[in-house]
Amino acid sequence: MGLLNRENFIYGLSLALLVLIYLRSRSRPTIEVSSLMLFDEAPAPVASVRNVRLDPLFWLEVATLGALTFAIAGLYVMRPPAPGQGRSHALVFDLGAGMSAHDGTGTRIDLARQQATEIIDQAPAGDEFSVIAYALEAQVRHPQTANRADLRSALAELVPMAVPARTAALRAALIRAHGASEIDLFADRPPAPAILADAGSAARINFHLVGSGDSNLAIVSLDPGIPGSTRGRAVIRNFSTRPHLAELAIDLDGSGQYHQTMMLAPREQVLVSFGPLKTGGLLHARILNADAIDADNSRYAYAPSEVAASVLVLSPDAAVRDDLARVLLAVNANFQIETADPAKYVAPSGPDAKPLELAVMHDCYVPAVKVASTLLIYPPDGTKNGIGVSVDGTVARADIRGDATGESRALNSLALGDTRVVAIPEWMDLIATATAPGHPSIPIAGIGRAAGGAAGVLAFDVRDHLLLAPDHLDALVLTVDLMKQLTAPRDIVVVPTGADVSVAATGSARVTQPDGSVRTVTADKWGRVRIRPMQAGRYTVESGAATTQVLANYYDASESDLAAKPQAEAIAPAERRAATSNQQSAKQVQPLTFILIALALLALAIESAMLIGHAGRWGMRHV
Amino acid sequence: MLEARAFEPEYLRKLDRLVLGIKRARTVRTGQRALGRVQGLGIEPENFKEYAPGDDLRFLDWNAFARLDELMLRTYRADRQVEVTALVDASASMGLPAHDDKLGLALAIGASLAYIGMADNDAVRIGAFAMHRGSMKLEATPFHRRRESYLNFKPFVTSVRAGGETRLGNAVDELLLQRRPAGTVVVISDFLVSEGDVEDALKRLIAARHDVKVIHVMGEQESSGSYPPGLYRIRDAETGEVRETILGPAAVGALRHKVERIAARIREICTTHAINYAQAFGAGNLESFMERELPLLGIVR
Repeated sequence: MGLLNRENFIYGLSLALLVLIYLRSRSRPTIEVSSLMLFDEAPAPVASVRNVRLDPLFWLEVATLGALTFAIAGLYVMRPPAPGQGRSHALVFDLGAGMSAHDGTGTRIDLARQQATEIIDQAPAGDEFSVIAYALEAQVRHPQTANRADLRSALAELVPMAVPARTAALRAALIRAHGASEIDLFADRPPAPAILADAGSAARINFHLVGSGDSNLAIVSLDPGIPGSTRGRAVIRNFSTRPHLAELAIDLDGSGQYHQTMMLAPREQVLVSFGPLKTGGLLHARILNADAIDADNSRYAYAPSEVAASVLVLSPDAAVRDDLARVLLAVNANFQIETADPAKYVAPSGPDAKPLELAVMHDCYVPAVKVASTLLIYPPDGTKNGIGVSVDGTVARADIRGDATGESRALNSLALGDTRVVAIPEWMDLIATATAPGHPSIPIAGIGRAAGGAAGVLAFDVRDHLLLAPDHLDALVLTVDLMKQLTAPRDIVVVPTGADVSVAATGSARVTQPDGSVRTVTADKWGRVRIRPMQAGRYTVESGAATTQVLANYYDASESDLAAKPQAEAIAPAERRAATSNQQSAKQVQPLTFILIALALLALAIESAMLIGHAGRWGMRHV
Repeated sequence: MLEARAFEPEYLRKLDRLVLGIKRARTVRTGQRALGRVQGLGIEPENFKEYAPGDDLRFLDWNAFARLDELMLRTYRADRQVEVTALVDASASMGLPAHDDKLGLALAIGASLAYIGMADNDAVRIGAFAMHRGSMKLEATPFHRRRESYLNFKPFVTSVRAGGETRLGNAVDELLLQRRPAGTVVVISDFLVSEGDVEDALKRLIAARHDVKVIHVMGEQESSGSYPPGLYRIRDAETGEVRETILGPAAVGALRHKVERIAARIREICTTHAINYAQAFGAGNLESFMERELPLLGIVR
């Protein structure tokens, strides 16, 4: 027996109010007399010390208020299920990358699947199960059903993803399992007790810890360097508490660049240098020996081409032109950069005009420039340029609030100076937003690809050497990120797993996933298809004659670290809870709300009947 | 209030023909020395007696000696002056029930008796007593003898308010501490105290050679028990004690019976100690009480 909403028990104060009302309305008048001696022989009431007349009406009102209070507070009892009435279970699975770790003969998800199957097999025939999975988001894989075959099929379809399991997703999964009388949670690490407590569910939560191994290596990062100029670097990390052998191979467009076997000390991180690369291209680093998680054993990076590409920088401010040129050279030292004042710039024409790779326009827009990609920085106010970015004023100050994708590093709050209030077109992806006085959310960074080419926009002004100021590193990161994306080849896209990727397409596109499965995606009205790679590896998007490679990298320090032990205080409550739930798993919550409300109504009906009887006996219309 | 009635000329005219029925002091034969005793130095001749050695030669009747050649002493009636004290209970119980105006009735009776006493040029005063915060508060006017000064009582009589506890014994102690000559003390109270306290107090007055008279006042409502019926919490005005009771026909009978028992007991105490006792129940009966009841009971003539 217990209360589902203890805080609602405060409505029990209505009982005290009832007693006060009775005290007020039925207390006896007091008269002052010369001496009580005169009243020695006067009759005294039977209940001489009570001020409340505890008649049946009072008790009926107490019963009514008491029943309603308990109903609001959610009084329930634990009782075994009635014959023919099954319990409801929710099977919640962690599908983070950690669940793909190999433990002995199978993966952790295999172990979880096996345990879940045993639970299903041992449950009474009437019991119903739902299957819920979570990683980046929570998803109900199969609704409540008593069909064992469907459940096994749903369990078989559970595949771990190359993404970390987010706490928010676990919370969402528990919320979706709220209606179940029993929740079985399968994960490779115990959740924080606060998450289980915050679930607010009356159901018993049985936590099943799956997996025990910690032998995992991961490629933390891969930097190709500058072809022909600087060496590339790769970082390898051993998450194991034991020494681990690592065989690292790095290829550039299929040709080997580096192959070395090394011994990593426990928990060691090693920096491996290679190159410099002779040419640009797609760089692929792999750990060839087996470990627990495969997804973090492979990593792609794109080495920019050594072929000189032309970049145009237009700005009315000479200092800004100089800053932007420095940043562009940092992105790619092979860029040939031309800077100009937009008022004096004349677009070259004729056969000698070089094709421009990128045009960066600060506080200006010159439509005559023919370019593959355009980056607008602090676009002019009151104009609507050909890209589709409209500007509706300027704010003197804005704070970067966060990013739209969750993957950019421009996350911390950062105060910017003058910022345009821009509206980006629908085909652009929002990278970051900011807050400003009178504007709760304004976009400050966006990028997109349309039929006319790639375009990006940065709404904040970069005057006064903003990009070179150490305190505004996030603004520089946003700028470099957009420049890299705009100058990247169109047919190769390197992204982290879980990120949304837009690929130009006509009509429909055929997407081949890393595991070889193929699906068809229809392009939207802006001529692009959007995919979200959840597996690490190569995705191939074919549309018409064009083929685009989407290369998804996975690495998450907390998810890949299988040796990370949960805190003692975190695991203990979970185990206790599991033990408690096992003892009581034969019972289920039975709310008494309807019974209590029925009792309250019955008491009110009896009181009404008594009052009507009194009124009739006394010949009055009301009492 | 009713006490103001005692100063209305029309009312006072009705009292003009009344005389206080007090026991006068015994005649003191003059000419006989008795230390420590007050000589009867009146002005009204009473008798003659033969001279005896030791008699006061000042009272020799020289005319009789001239005619009869015998030494004769003239004796006089003792001085008729008696100190009369009207002692009114001013405790809280005298103020309830409020519309009964028991205190007003008691003060009016006390003032009326003072007026009557002044007819014989007796020294008269009015006192009021009640227990306040553990100490007896006995307030009294100065003695007045002549009716011309009767109105001097009015400020005191109209200023008395009911409050405090009734402690008759303490009031008598306070009175006796003033060491006044024995006189007449008229105690006016509702006597809603223990019978022992009443009897003890009266006995001490008598022991001090006072001529004691008792007037028992009660309100119309409390003596008839005519409270509205219902369930009540009743609070004692003097002690603050609370009790619950049911007032109705049964309670009326019980109240009347109780009042009768208290009155009978006070009457019995007075009879035992040869004290004049009179009942003044109901403020509306002041005039008939003064004109008819008191003469019948010998308190006035």
